[in-house]
Amino acid sequence: MQLQDKYRIALLSAYALALHGFESLFPTPVPWLRLGLANIITLTALVLYGIRVAITVTLIRVILSSLFTGTFLGPAFILSLGGGVTSTLAMGIVLSITPRLFSIIGLSLIGALFHNIAQLILAYLLFIQRIEAILLISPIIIFLGSVTGTVNGIVSDLLIKNLKKGDKKIQNVNK
Amino acid sequence: MSLNSVLKSTTIADKILLALLILVSLSGIVFVKELLPEAKRVMIEVNGHPVYILPKDKDRTVSVEGPEGVTVIEIKDQRVRVTESPCHNKLCIRQGWIESGAIVCIPNRVVVTISNHEDESNKIVDAITG
Repeated sequence: MQLQDKYRIALLSAYALALHGFESLFPTPVPWLRLGLANIITLTALVLYGIRVAITVTLIRVILSSLFTGTFLGPAFILSLGGGVTSTLAMGIVLSITPRLFSIIGLSLIGALFHNIAQLILAYLLFIQRIEAILLISPIIIFLGSVTGTVNGIVSDLLIKNLKKGDKKIQNVNK
Repeated sequence: MSLNSVLKSTTIADKILLALLILVSLSGIVFVKELLPEAKRVMIEVNGHPVYILPKDKDRTVSVEGPEGVTVIEIKDQRVRVTESPCHNKLCIRQGWIESGAIVCIPNRVVVTISNHEDESNKIVDAITG
């Protein structure tokens, strides 16, 4: 791993952690609704620097945020880890198989969907062995996830375009 | 960098995916409730202790003994009411049939609630996803 990659991972992880912390303070109409703002950073990392950076950033974000809130290795940590890793992998796989089929927004939607599916499956397997409860709540969670996923996708798209523009500027200055 | 440029960069696959997700989840919200059997139960508590937990879809009349006397509770056609109570103001009887919620008779310490097991497990989800 190059030094530049390490800087990038550190910076992106810090941003992801800050967003993760911010959204847990942010009031939502339903207590379990999370905006998934950290996914903006994961998606940006994935598109700009590849799946390895994205996975590393996700792992750092999940582990550190759970250490900060005191939920390390607890149920919330397991759900957060499962959701984060699954969604990052899903987005990475889709991006590497069909790079042109989906835009950033589509990728964000895929990430949100797999995040929710992974969490629902984990919650069913580990915590609530009641399929009715999961079935009842799944469509609601997937619907809300699609809404927040779209918004996050738009933000990521703007961020990535701006960062690419910035990169070009820096390169021009260096010349 | 405006919203327009973002919208321009969306692909057909994006739109199909979003439409599909919204469609499936919305129809899911509507239909899952219909598909699942209603697991609602009627719980009758006296003095804070559950005495009966009965299925809501079975017609039945039960009587429970409270500090003031006997309260009679009737379950019929998915509804619940108090038919007899020894209390003074008979608020519990006047409340009539209920389909959800609770009937409380404070003088006789009887609480009839229509509870749903799904609600309880949802609370567990709330606590852990936090």
